[in-house]
Amino acid sequence: MSTSARWLGLFAWLVPLVLFAVGPVVLLLARGAGAPGELGWEWLASESGALGNTLAISGGAAVLALALGTPLSLLLFRTDLPLRGAFTVLFTLPSAIPAFIWGMGWLSLASPRAGYLNRLLGEGTLDIHGPVGIAFVEGLSGLPLVLLAGAAALRRVDPALEEAARVCGASPARALLTTTVPLVLPSLLSGAVMVFLMAASSFGVPYLLGVSASPPTRVLTTRIYELVLLGDEGLGRASALALALLLLTPLSLLATWALGRSGRVRLSTGKGLASRPLTLGRARVWVTGGVAGTCALLVLLPLAAILLTSLQRSFGANLTWEELTLSHWSGVLLEPRTLRATGLSLLLAAGAGVLVCGLGLAAALLQRTFRRLGAGVEAVAVWPYAVPGTVLALALLLAFSRDWRFILLDKVAFVLALAHTPWLLLIAYAAKYLALGTRNSSEALAQLDPSLTEAARISGAGPLRAFVDVTLPLLRPALTVAFILAFLSCATEITMSVLLVPAGSEVLGKLLFDLQSYADPAAAAVLACAFVALVVLGQAVLALVARRAAEVR
Amino acid sequence: MAAISLEGLFKSYGATPVVRGLSLEVREGELVSLLGPSGCGKTTTLRMLAGLEHPDTGVIRIGGEMVAGPGVRVPPEQRGLGMVFQGYAVWPHRSVEENVAYPLTLRRMPKAEVAEKVREALRWVRLEALATRRPHELSGGQLQRVALARALVAGPRVLLLDEPLSNLDAALREELRAELAALRARLGTTLVFVTHDQGEALALSDRIAVMNQGVLEQVDAPETLYREPATPFVAGFVGGANVLTGEVREGAFHTARSGTLFQLPADTLARPGPATLVVRPEDLALGEQGTSLPLSARLFLGHATEYRFPVDGTLLRVVAPPLEVRPGQTLKVQLRKARLFSVG
Repeated sequence: MSTSARWLGLFAWLVPLVLFAVGPVVLLLARGAGAPGELGWEWLASESGALGNTLAISGGAAVLALALGTPLSLLLFRTDLPLRGAFTVLFTLPSAIPAFIWGMGWLSLASPRAGYLNRLLGEGTLDIHGPVGIAFVEGLSGLPLVLLAGAAALRRVDPALEEAARVCGASPARALLTTTVPLVLPSLLSGAVMVFLMAASSFGVPYLLGVSASPPTRVLTTRIYELVLLGDEGLGRASALALALLLLTPLSLLATWALGRSGRVRLSTGKGLASRPLTLGRARVWVTGGVAGTCALLVLLPLAAILLTSLQRSFGANLTWEELTLSHWSGVLLEPRTLRATGLSLLLAAGAGVLVCGLGLAAALLQRTFRRLGAGVEAVAVWPYAVPGTVLALALLLAFSRDWRFILLDKVAFVLALAHTPWLLLIAYAAKYLALGTRNSSEALAQLDPSLTEAARISGAGPLRAFVDVTLPLLRPALTVAFILAFLSCATEITMSVLLVPAGSEVLGKLLFDLQSYADPAAAAVLACAFVALVVLGQAVLALVARRAAEVR
Repeated sequence: MAAISLEGLFKSYGATPVVRGLSLEVREGELVSLLGPSGCGKTTTLRMLAGLEHPDTGVIRIGGEMVAGPGVRVPPEQRGLGMVFQGYAVWPHRSVEENVAYPLTLRRMPKAEVAEKVREALRWVRLEALATRRPHELSGGQLQRVALARALVAGPRVLLLDEPLSNLDAALREELRAELAALRARLGTTLVFVTHDQGEALALSDRIAVMNQGVLEQVDAPETLYREPATPFVAGFVGGANVLTGEVREGAFHTARSGTLFQLPADTLARPGPATLVVRPEDLALGEQGTSLPLSARLFLGHATEYRFPVDGTLLRVVAPPLEVRPGQTLKVQLRKARLFSVG
């Protein structure tokens, strides 16, 4: 590629990113940094409760995920536990399904009066409302992050290390605990840090289980939401809180980086090492029972509760056969409002998916072209993913609350009027999930032997033709995966949708949020079931794509 | 007219020079090997010829037409070449025949003609039966043949081969080497062949260009190269000769560090002064006369035995008939034939 074409490409890629993602967030930060001066420091102190709650809840969630994830990842990835594959799939569901839906499930199970569990155990035994409940649900929905980090680390631990401990006289369990566990602990901890970050930026669950409780539990994200609803007077304060929330990201990423670095030193870098799984022996039956019970309680029960809620005539009534009905299903699924929301959501998710793949592929290509500058390109592309949805949405809301006019060459004028249009949602979705496209493309591109493209050039194809004929088809599996992931994430997105949906329009995430918060838990449960079905379908397609791609190689 | 001419090519990556002032002519229908150790610049030279790299200075002509030079940079797709890559570079998303047909499709050839030419090319490499297979169903040797058919199908002016046999096991390499020779005899294409394997280069080439650290050391027919190496490097790399530095004094060679003395054969052209001594393992004899050296190892090679003697920090290798000797014993080593290169 000629030098000028390269720079033109970089410029064309950077303009939308700076305009629609980096710029708005920087503006918000500038505004947030100025807010304490305007409003006085006393006000900031009055919000310290929300900051404290955020830190406590996120910390609790991280600890729970680590406590559950450490033994589970060892059992799933290092022992001869039966049905390991099925358990792994089930235990990764909590991250694939939006946390809000898990919150709904636990609300059905453990709301103080009508919750199904409380009806079994006696009214008021359990209460999912409040900080402990929020931390519990967030910790569970972050569990797969710890599990997957553990799985990746366990694959890289040289089995010879454990065998050496055995030869020295350690029992199998002791060898595992004294060699492998300390080696994978840094990875598990970095997974827990990701859980902390995810919980701190979560909005749906703390809203569902915190704001409507008495006394209410407020965290940074829900405070930002409440302040935005106040209108212009709240925006300054919201910006200041957004700044505080955003500061958690680099701190946590720094912690992850530090943990990852200390972990990497000791792990083997070679290709996947197969180790002989630890035999559970006589404990096998008990351990299997325990894992199955945990899985049923933590994963299947909340989903079953949602399904039951969707079938009950009214939530809280006695559970009898006569009380069951399909009327909510037909009511919700056929309602014009649902259909409109579905239409717009699918359209936006597809559009965002295409943008994520296109811009992500472009980012990966630019990264290769500009070797030194490539790291910068990647940072710009991946960075919005780390920005909490609430903050990103608020930034876009503020930046585009008024129309922007661009005048080119004194003649052509552009007016960018995005306020109160679905375009803002499309931008938010595409910006937030761009990292999926970038990561998938650059990993696939790195695996591509450059001689494949060179062979096309020698055969007589120009650079563009070689790209279309060889590079693109070989990247297709990775791009398909990126598209499906982005599509699923956008179609079921709640946080940004709630803040950005224009009056008069509707998307699925906002509809679910509204139905659950204000109107009708049974109708919300129906929609949640549809979300779960969509996610499961999407995961099945992903598994299929992965298998097909593995066959070609 | 020369099929290829390279004139004064220079190429560096950053501050590292890779090719330094290389000039070479390849005649029509000739097979020239670029031979040298890894990092000598042979692959870079081939890639510049293909148009995948651009020389910093120098001129490349193919069939008399300048393809790279001051202000000229013909892209690879317009050079009309065929190339076989070291890792085959067979496209995994296309079947065997789709791979081979690709260069023809780009030339907008009618479908029937494409099919005919693909069939012919697959017949050359004996892959007719596998035409509809996918690359992941093929073995390494079969992939190599697909790459060869694809490179040949459009009738290239020159065929470039980048270590095409190095990823294959010994038996397969032998077989493909023979096939390559037969194909070449039939098609008469000009070939440039990059390899680090001197046996391969000696067996296949009309001429061999030996490269070292970006510089062309010698270009000659295989036998000339073997018998009359122009530099100690060529002697060492092509013939596996022993190379010792030292000084010639009074008809004898004294090594630089230990001063070990070797009597030179009477017919050696020896000018007194600093020199490099080059002697093949089979041109050394063990017997009653010569320099006394301690034996450090004895390796049975099958057809002969190799004896190793530490001299000046390296090992002097001697190939001789089997003897009842043990490491640690002192033997007498005599030069029967040697070459001397004056230093400076």
